[in-house]
Amino acid sequence: MSVRITGIGVVSAIGFSVAENLQSLREGKSGIGKITYLEDSRPFLVGEVKASNADLKEKWGLDSSHISRTSLLGLHAAKEAWGENKLNSELRTGIISATSVGGMDRSEVFYKDYLAQNNPEYTLLKTHDSGSTTERIAAEMGITDYVNTLSTACSSGANAIVLGARLILQNKLDRVLVGGSDALSRFTIDGFRSLMIYDDQWCRPFDETRSGLNLGEGAAFLLLEGDKSIAFSGNKTICYLSGWANAADAYHQTASSPEGTGATLAIGNALRKSGIQPEAISYVNAHGTGTKNNDLSESVALKNIFGANIPMFSSTKAFTGHTLAAAGAIEAVFSVLAIQNGLVYPNLNFRNPIEETRLTPVTSLQTDIPIHAVLSNSFGFGGNNSSLVFADHA
Amino acid sequence: MDILKEDLKRQIIEQLNLEDITPEDISDDNLLFNEEGLNLDSIDALELIVLLEKYHGIQVTNPDEGKVAFRSINSMAEYIRKRKS
Amino acid sequence: MRDMDKNTYYIIAASTISHQDTFGKTGFSDSMSPVVSPALITPDYKAFIDAGLLRRMSKILRMAVACAKDCLAQAGLDQPDAIITGTGLGCLQDTDKFLNTSLTVEGLLPPTAFIQSTHNTMAGQISLSLGNHGYNMTHTQNTLSFEHAMVDALLLLDEGEQHILVGAADEHIEILSEITTHLGYKPGFPLTSGASFFIISKEKRHDTVARIADCEPVAFAQDPVAKLTRFLDTNSLEISDLNRVVYAVPGNANAGKYKTIWREAGLDPEKCINYLSLSGVYPTASAFALNYAVDLISQDRSLKNILIFNALRKENLGLTLVQSVEA
Repeated sequence: MSVRITGIGVVSAIGFSVAENLQSLREGKSGIGKITYLEDSRPFLVGEVKASNADLKEKWGLDSSHISRTSLLGLHAAKEAWGENKLNSELRTGIISATSVGGMDRSEVFYKDYLAQNNPEYTLLKTHDSGSTTERIAAEMGITDYVNTLSTACSSGANAIVLGARLILQNKLDRVLVGGSDALSRFTIDGFRSLMIYDDQWCRPFDETRSGLNLGEGAAFLLLEGDKSIAFSGNKTICYLSGWANAADAYHQTASSPEGTGATLAIGNALRKSGIQPEAISYVNAHGTGTKNNDLSESVALKNIFGANIPMFSSTKAFTGHTLAAAGAIEAVFSVLAIQNGLVYPNLNFRNPIEETRLTPVTSLQTDIPIHAVLSNSFGFGGNNSSLVFADHA
Repeated sequence: MDILKEDLKRQIIEQLNLEDITPEDISDDNLLFNEEGLNLDSIDALELIVLLEKYHGIQVTNPDEGKVAFRSINSMAEYIRKRKS
Repeated sequence: MRDMDKNTYYIIAASTISHQDTFGKTGFSDSMSPVVSPALITPDYKAFIDAGLLRRMSKILRMAVACAKDCLAQAGLDQPDAIITGTGLGCLQDTDKFLNTSLTVEGLLPPTAFIQSTHNTMAGQISLSLGNHGYNMTHTQNTLSFEHAMVDALLLLDEGEQHILVGAADEHIEILSEITTHLGYKPGFPLTSGASFFIISKEKRHDTVARIADCEPVAFAQDPVAKLTRFLDTNSLEISDLNRVVYAVPGNANAGKYKTIWREAGLDPEKCINYLSLSGVYPTASAFALNYAVDLISQDRSLKNILIFNALRKENLGLTLVQSVEA
């Protein structure tokens, strides 16, 4: 019961396209640095997309000032994933995006002036709600048959992919763009700092000395197509989504359970759905945020599922920063690229394994190895855990 | 009566929004994070760190340091006095 | 009894907290007058929510968890197979609070409001309150958030799940009224808060009165009447077959147009109700409308077809067909 993936698009701190992201991944080049584009003068490390809103607007010929950065990034990635495809009244085409902040980047501009009673621009709030982020992308692309937004914190992007696959399999849609987008905002930076899990050094996923995440921003989309759509488009299948699952940890509002309950359920159920045996997984693109809690809990879950035979694994968040709702989608694109190019990406900044679990991720680029199946994890606040399985075969 | 400890109790109730609890309900050696005590969790621990800065001007940069200091009202008062001395 | 008919999704529990006396009541639809109360009519939350969780919860979280628990009690279930929520604007109280803190406080910021500001806090808190490990999802598509959550729930039933807890909530905060005025939006009815949750299943109970026959969220609805006709046609119905129309049109701008459509189709104007007059205005008020429809049917089984026509925002259209279940 797998679903065909025929297009991918991504924008992140390490590039404006699939090709640019792939090149940075190959070169081990992180996109994390000091804040440059966000209106925030504090010296924090972030994974920014290297363009101003004005640059992004100009690229897509948009002049209205009322478009959130989240929409701009989403539109950029969605256009790349859509490619040369054409709208057709015979095909039901949908878009599902995921976002955690929506237009917060614009709302906080309003709010600052509002609190200072400095003639606030109320129209900025028209892009606040998360749904409007997706509507704007859909409107620019002319997609109308199904327009929806999911928001489950850091697992949102993965969940959008799952929902799209289910709609294709149940013949509710012929093709669907699925993914996620989140822009950096002061709100989220302050939020993760208030939780004391924002690292002022480069984040170090799965390392014993890890002390938190670096936030990033970006967007990614995948085009999923059913039979009817393929017959029309003639598109080549670049990869298959073959398994997925979402499960609740039900342990704590923010912390993951030490036993990795939700994560183990998500990974196990996704593998079962795919029909792929754990030993046939070539690579795991881990959630690996760099926080004490996530990386330990995820390590325990990996051990629960794979026992002593843990596949090659790495977190790519030291390249992009943690892009919240976009993360699951960006990492899905990276998973597809791993299969397409026979690559396993290095887990940057790793030195010593976590004492409790002793797992060592891949630390240098692995090339020319057959990658048949990849597991990608995305775990979020509220104990929302999702896992996806990608494969080179149906 | 130890004024610092009484202040702490009131501040904790306010910071953590402990609706049904009065300062009299918290004894100085109650284990704050224990089920028999106030049954606080890791989010509360972060709120207590904010409380220390807000009311007592004390910065805790390592959350693990907080864990020891926040065992009880007694340990919190002791921690504050030590940091201020 | 399991009905394999694809379009049969029974509503086996329904619960609403609103500005009306809806919670824990059956037959509330009979005596309902236009909403005037500026505040929610709430139960004693302590009866539904653990004190440790309750102390941190904002309005929207309290409403959602209480309705969810009430639904499970009505259905005699310990656990649903999945928890799906819709919310248009999410946890506004905590978002507003943390934004405020973030822009005004120097030094350390209290994290609780941030943690609870994410849209999925409701679904997360319900799973935490129940110890539920199932599918947990949050849809946010402004005025169609509830319809999208419902479509997801129907998909899950078709995929073989048994009992789905699905609902929606939104909360009003002070600044919303101010923003609404500044943006020139005229809702025509009071801005309110509300939460409605349901358990849907393919399995009919002896006391089941209503079912969802179809639900369709329409984006960029350019011709709502054409969409409605096609929707009813798919369900082998015409407008004149509807026993009640429960619709949402803000202000007075478009209400006349729809009143004409209902009248020209031969429907008694008394049987076409703008539910915003009862629920007040919030993005997921169509969830209130569903509970209202179920309650109408519980009082009168001859109401075979009730349409919920959600045009709260003119770009969006939500169509839900509720049918009575033969006793």
